[in-house]
Amino acid sequence: MTISEQVAPFVRAFRTAPGISDEPEWLCAHRDASIRHFAATGFPTRSAESWRFTDLRPLTASPILPAPDAVPNASERALADPPPSDPPPSELSVPTHRIILVNGRFIPRLSRIGALPPGVWLGSTADTVKARPGLIAAAFDASEIVGSQPFAALNAAFFADGFVLALEPGAVLETPIEVIHLGRTDTPVAFHLRNAIIAGSGSRATVIESTEGSGPGWTNAVTAITVDADASLRHIRIQNDGSEAIHTALTRATLARGARYENFALTLGARLSRQDIQVALSGEGASVALNGAYLLRGEQEATFAPHVDHQAPGCRTDEVLKGVMQDHAHGVFLGTIAVRPGADQTDARQLNRNLLLSPWAHVDTKPELEILADDVKCSHGATVGSLDEAALFYLQARGLDETTARHMLIEAFAADVIDTAALGDILSAPLRRHLRDWLGQVGGAA
Amino acid sequence: MSNLLEIHDLRARTLGGRDILKGINLTIAPGEVHAIMGPNGAGKSTLSSVLAGKPGYEVTGGSVLYQGRDLLALPADARAREGIFLAFQYPVEIPGVNNTYFLRAALNAGRRHRGEPELDAAQFLKAVKEKLKLLDISSDLLQRPVNVGFSGGEKKRNEIFQMAMLEPRLAVLDETDSGLDIDALRVVSNGVNRLRDPQRAIVMITHYQRLLDYIVPDHVHVLSDGRIVASGDKTLAATLEQTGYAHLDSAAA
Repeated sequence: MTISEQVAPFVRAFRTAPGISDEPEWLCAHRDASIRHFAATGFPTRSAESWRFTDLRPLTASPILPAPDAVPNASERALADPPPSDPPPSELSVPTHRIILVNGRFIPRLSRIGALPPGVWLGSTADTVKARPGLIAAAFDASEIVGSQPFAALNAAFFADGFVLALEPGAVLETPIEVIHLGRTDTPVAFHLRNAIIAGSGSRATVIESTEGSGPGWTNAVTAITVDADASLRHIRIQNDGSEAIHTALTRATLARGARYENFALTLGARLSRQDIQVALSGEGASVALNGAYLLRGEQEATFAPHVDHQAPGCRTDEVLKGVMQDHAHGVFLGTIAVRPGADQTDARQLNRNLLLSPWAHVDTKPELEILADDVKCSHGATVGSLDEAALFYLQARGLDETTARHMLIEAFAADVIDTAALGDILSAPLRRHLRDWLGQVGGAA
Repeated sequence: MSNLLEIHDLRARTLGGRDILKGINLTIAPGEVHAIMGPNGAGKSTLSSVLAGKPGYEVTGGSVLYQGRDLLALPADARAREGIFLAFQYPVEIPGVNNTYFLRAALNAGRRHRGEPELDAAQFLKAVKEKLKLLDISSDLLQRPVNVGFSGGEKKRNEIFQMAMLEPRLAVLDETDSGLDIDALRVVSNGVNRLRDPQRAIVMITHYQRLLDYIVPDHVHVLSDGRIVASGDKTLAATLEQTGYAHLDSAAA
């Protein structure tokens, strides 16, 4: 298939999409430029190094167009597939500010944003475009399009909704923000979510996102994050989509002087998924923690591609990603830490560890360092192994049956990264719960 | 039924490897403490591994009856739940698995098997405190991952602590004295002596006579080239200390 054949249905869908013309001019222009960009590039191919391990055919074989109800300015009444009458259960045991999105649209009836402290804006992206356009205009600057990922360009062209969190300087939000996206569809349609988090200097917040659902939907999320001087943001992302789903997500964060960004990504669902996290440490003394785990089974294919760019001196990266794969699952880790000239006193560690539970499971791992500064401390590493037979026998020799012993070792392997992330009991609890649920569905013997 | 363990003409080798056990005969009654001594390569650790059901070994002949039943037909975990305990020569480090969590799971697996109610966290903690006191072991080992970062002595003490908690019918101590300094050896030995019981048999596998000064056995056997070549009471160990193993090798050949 040529690029023009591949992109034509998307361009056509864009030209006929309702609602877009009602938006601010800058956004219309941005969407227009984005679809042009996509039309020129098409989907990534395996000839590109960063896409070489990922089989995108489930996504590209036939065009997956935006869900009819997930277009800008569609009203909830118009939803083809009515959202559930009850809100989904919370991931957390404490009160939250809650945003629920169904098939790419904010559903006020299920959400509970509640009272926010002064200096904090939290709302759906569609509402924010109308009420506070200035807040997110910055997240759509033209530089985003140049050299942009094709998925991000498609997202910019088609997104209908998402969430926006903006904290004014000094604003502290103690209550976590919870964002749940439910994708429910019987046909292959796309949900393009556009999110933004703008943390002003000295502000602090915690965001926990989760996605779940059923059917062959494609969730394509782009989240733009700025963490200003000495601000601190915790961001947890639990991808628990249905077994037929496709999930692509790009998170792009820029950190100013002394800023702190902690990201934890747990990948459980979707038949095909890719998560790109791009962090620019642009101010002196900024630090980022990228931790996470991918737990894959069946024919699942998941790529985790974190890229950290050390642009300023004295910044720190701590990155640990753990993969557990069974059956015929395929995991890919593409981690890059780049240290620019002048980014001295960089302290960066990157580790990817993988556990293969079946002879057919496999993983491709490429931890990379690109160091162009002199005075730096950088390390990287990757391991691929199977369960430690000596440890397995030790547990069995104490009376634990093989399934229990295996689960104990797998849980220990994966839970270690939850401990490493040190997110505290409240935020760690859902991660541990998902891990245990996943293990409950893992067979005993290899 | 008087014998706890009856080994008849046991022959075993490593998978696809050479024969190591070449016809072991050994009978153990409840309450007895047996020492199995012998030079390196005699098959001491193979014997303990075969009894515990460690993968990688192949029994090529003979039988092992435990409480009158065919022990070799059971997988390792079932043997443990039936009351067999192996104190490892090299206890395995298991990062991420909390010592207390693991031990409670193991204890409750045995209790379920015997039809006894499981211990909840509070009951388990109470049992732990009693055993710690009995063995003179500090509790800080319990909050750490299994054997991770433990010194050699701590690992061996942890093995004996597990034995105390699991209350086996048959405990096989594989080179429990190796790598211990004299103070640690005393602590571990005192622990084992306190676990001597009319219902429990203990098999000590050791290279050195030293351990037997602390844990005095009822029977001593010499294993050489896969066979028991001499058996006697505790005085046999003292004799060996003077004569070494060499003359027994030639006697067996």
